[in-house]
Amino acid sequence: MTTLDSRPIATEAKDNYLTFTRGILSWIFTLDHKRIGVMYLFAVLSSFFVGGVMALLVRTKLLFPGKVDWMTEDAYNKAFTLHGAIMVFLVIIPSIPAALGNFVLPIMLGAKDVAFPRLNLFSFYLWVMGAICAVYSLMAGGFDTGWTFYTPYSSQFAAGGTIPVLVGVFILGFSSIFTGVNFIVTIHKLRPPGMTWFRMPLFLWALYATALIQILATPVLGITVALLVVERAFNIGIFDPSMGGDPVLFQHFFWFYSHPAVYIMILPGMGIISELISVHSHRHIFGFRFIAFSSIAIAIFSFLVWGHHMFTSGQSPLMNVLFSAITFSVAIPSAVKVFNWLATLYKGSIALNTPMLYALSFMFLFTIGGLTGIPLAVLSTDIHLHDTYFVVAHFHYVMMGSALIAMIGGLHHWWPKMFGVMYSEFWGKIACALVFIGFNMTFFTQFMLGSQGMPRRYYAYQPEFQIYHHISTGGSYIMAIGFLITAMYLLHSLFAGKKAPANPWGGASLEWQCTSPPPHDNFSTTPRVGDCYDFSAVRWDEKEQGYVIDTEAHISAAASGKGH
Amino acid sequence: MIPTILLQTSTDAALSKTQGVTPRTFWLPEGASTIAPELDWVFNFINYINYFFFFLVVGIMCYFAWRYRQRGREVYARGPNHHTVLEVGWTVLPTLIVVVIFFMGFKGFVSAKTAPENAYQIDVTALKWAWKFKYPNGAQSDDLYVPAGRPVKLVMRSEDVLHSLYIRDFRVKQDVVPGRYSSLWFQADNPTGKNEKGEDNFHHLFCTEFCGTFHSNMNRKVFVLSQDEFDGWLGEQARWLDKIDDSELWWKAGPKLFVACKTCHTLDGSVGTGPSWGNYDGTGNIWERTKSGSTHKIDGGKNLGDIIGPGKEHETPDGYLRESILNPGKHLVDPYGNVMPTFKGQLSDRGIQALIDMMKNLDKFNKDGTVKPEAIPQTAGGAAGVAAK
Repeated sequence: MTTLDSRPIATEAKDNYLTFTRGILSWIFTLDHKRIGVMYLFAVLSSFFVGGVMALLVRTKLLFPGKVDWMTEDAYNKAFTLHGAIMVFLVIIPSIPAALGNFVLPIMLGAKDVAFPRLNLFSFYLWVMGAICAVYSLMAGGFDTGWTFYTPYSSQFAAGGTIPVLVGVFILGFSSIFTGVNFIVTIHKLRPPGMTWFRMPLFLWALYATALIQILATPVLGITVALLVVERAFNIGIFDPSMGGDPVLFQHFFWFYSHPAVYIMILPGMGIISELISVHSHRHIFGFRFIAFSSIAIAIFSFLVWGHHMFTSGQSPLMNVLFSAITFSVAIPSAVKVFNWLATLYKGSIALNTPMLYALSFMFLFTIGGLTGIPLAVLSTDIHLHDTYFVVAHFHYVMMGSALIAMIGGLHHWWPKMFGVMYSEFWGKIACALVFIGFNMTFFTQFMLGSQGMPRRYYAYQPEFQIYHHISTGGSYIMAIGFLITAMYLLHSLFAGKKAPANPWGGASLEWQCTSPPPHDNFSTTPRVGDCYDFSAVRWDEKEQGYVIDTEAHISAAASGKGH
Repeated sequence: MIPTILLQTSTDAALSKTQGVTPRTFWLPEGASTIAPELDWVFNFINYINYFFFFLVVGIMCYFAWRYRQRGREVYARGPNHHTVLEVGWTVLPTLIVVVIFFMGFKGFVSAKTAPENAYQIDVTALKWAWKFKYPNGAQSDDLYVPAGRPVKLVMRSEDVLHSLYIRDFRVKQDVVPGRYSSLWFQADNPTGKNEKGEDNFHHLFCTEFCGTFHSNMNRKVFVLSQDEFDGWLGEQARWLDKIDDSELWWKAGPKLFVACKTCHTLDGSVGTGPSWGNYDGTGNIWERTKSGSTHKIDGGKNLGDIIGPGKEHETPDGYLRESILNPGKHLVDPYGNVMPTFKGQLSDRGIQALIDMMKNLDKFNKDGTVKPEAIPQTAGGAAGVAAK
């Protein structure tokens, strides 16, 4: 049924957003959300490379239990601090919302751009300024506080680059806030007719929940690092007990932001997984409302559990008990999502494309990451596991194995849309397998290291731990090879990739209804909205070498409630 | 294959049988305190629940991915969009499970937090990058010695930044926060004893809160001694001064005792809460200015020489210094106030002698109070490391 109606809405224009205007200035001053998204993507992936090199340095040092000539204690402390700070503030927090979200959100929503394009560009340049501060701090002596900046070490003793990096974190916080503001207003105000809240793709629900946390929690981080800078620069006692301050107060402030920040990192990833699983199973998402509301539930609970980072800090036992109890409430919406994704696979038509392999990896890794959170939330066992490698393994399973794997899955999912080219499926699957195997080798061993009592952030360790470290470091090398292959075939596809059809995977949400790459203003006419998880009107088209959607049938199915 | 490698331990496995502590397992190190078995049980219980759900989720996922794999290009797949009973079910079930788990952890936490009344108290000081343990009779040690079969309470403070004391075999951990006291308690029933080679066994004590450059060196040993052995060790330890030869007091005992002085008195002439032992205002170091007696003013303008010398209040400079330690308020060096506490009853005569001997040899010390390695008398030979530490 290949009629005109089933063609992409936008005409096959010669101009897409990449070729719409030319020259470097047209990128630097662009207000196009797609170009800003691409710039963010490039920036985030570059930072990911630097952070990854730091991780490999740390892992390589840990092959040896004692002192090594090529890396001193201080250099090691700076390397793991830099790894953590880069990965958290420059990579994971902006990766999905600011890079993929910027590109995809307005198109999925059916809008021409975000609500505040200039604020969007400003947010990107704030990110750049934050990154410059981090680089400057390296030249000013680096910083060795750990990404958590605990006082009074950070305020009185740490290396010379601490203030610049704190300024950087402050600026990056505003970058994150502006993105959040932009997304909330866009979702509220720019939905086309018919795009009701319950027609909105789950990725957008997740981005909306994320944006709420971004604008409510991030100011607290700004205040905290500002106070820390004041203490360090002007010796005004806020956190340092020798000047009348309270170091535990800093931990409360810090985790009041940084625990919700964990959900800033994971929620958008969960949103992507909802899309990937549904589209590549060609099957309506199971339990739309449960997944949608579980995102909101996680966003709310995320503000109430920060104290579980502080069970051994000396806060009152009563608070420990309360925080432990509330922490378990986060487990429930997370479990609901996993069960719903599983049910979506049931009776699907599952295409094991590269994005889908990443989605399945996510489910595997997130299940481990989530379940290992339980002994950390339980008071008595956390006393044993706190600040050991068990914690390190747990949050890498969630932050990297889940959030970042989801980001890479999403990148593969929308890559044909972003650049209009297909990458090599063969190498995509190989790389995904390498990353998956390498990841588990690296971090599963760290669960054992931790439960056997190896503290985190250690330069030297007891010989009994060496075997675990060898496996872990070996895994990290395999993972690095996987990522290098990914970088190579993605870059290769830009120059020599097959031209991508408008809809390579058979998606039914709006972004698959404009050309690949999309035109400058996304849609030439106001798009008509159906049920984005109803695939009954999606057909394979031999001539297109992609899927086409029969718009009329799609809309009428949604209107009659058939697809629901 | 891997588990066998991972299960190997150097000496612990063999010994654990004789010691009667819980042996090391795939997940957990040996348990050597009274709370360890209960905590390990909770950990293992959660683990089994986790295994179950992990294999359930991944098993179903793999089965579905294979069973419902795409065939051809015909894509539309019909399946249920939602199922209220199922969804409510898998919301409620995890809720019930985590409520149970929470209470298990809560129970263990309360017993692990509440120290028995009769606990034996040891004072702990954490500093970059060492632990100091002080026992009720005044004995001090760098490693932790505890009596077996008796609750022990550690009362901890930090001199600089956050630290955290962690004894993994006891399953206890507590942050040590500057500006406040924190505490933890444990009871270890089995003495650590010796291994086949006659070396002392021990439990690891780690610092688990990042504290700067040598964070990973901040670990010590924990020895559990039977009550008799412990009493013997404690007596020995309290008499450590007596075992040092008179001629070596200045560098073996002096620096250890000076730790208590150095919060107020510097060695390099810089300003502290009390007068520096070093050369300040060009008056020479503490021994030189006391000996000459003339250069520095005390008690609002008097000369030091007015009270030191034959027939005067103090026959010798040593006598004046001794008085200043035991009765610091009697004469005050200008312009310092009466701040120093008395050390009467805390320092033995030999202890005071060690400090005065140290003052006499001040040029042989670094400004942090450690002896310069090259200044250690050659006859001391291999024992040099003791004081240098």
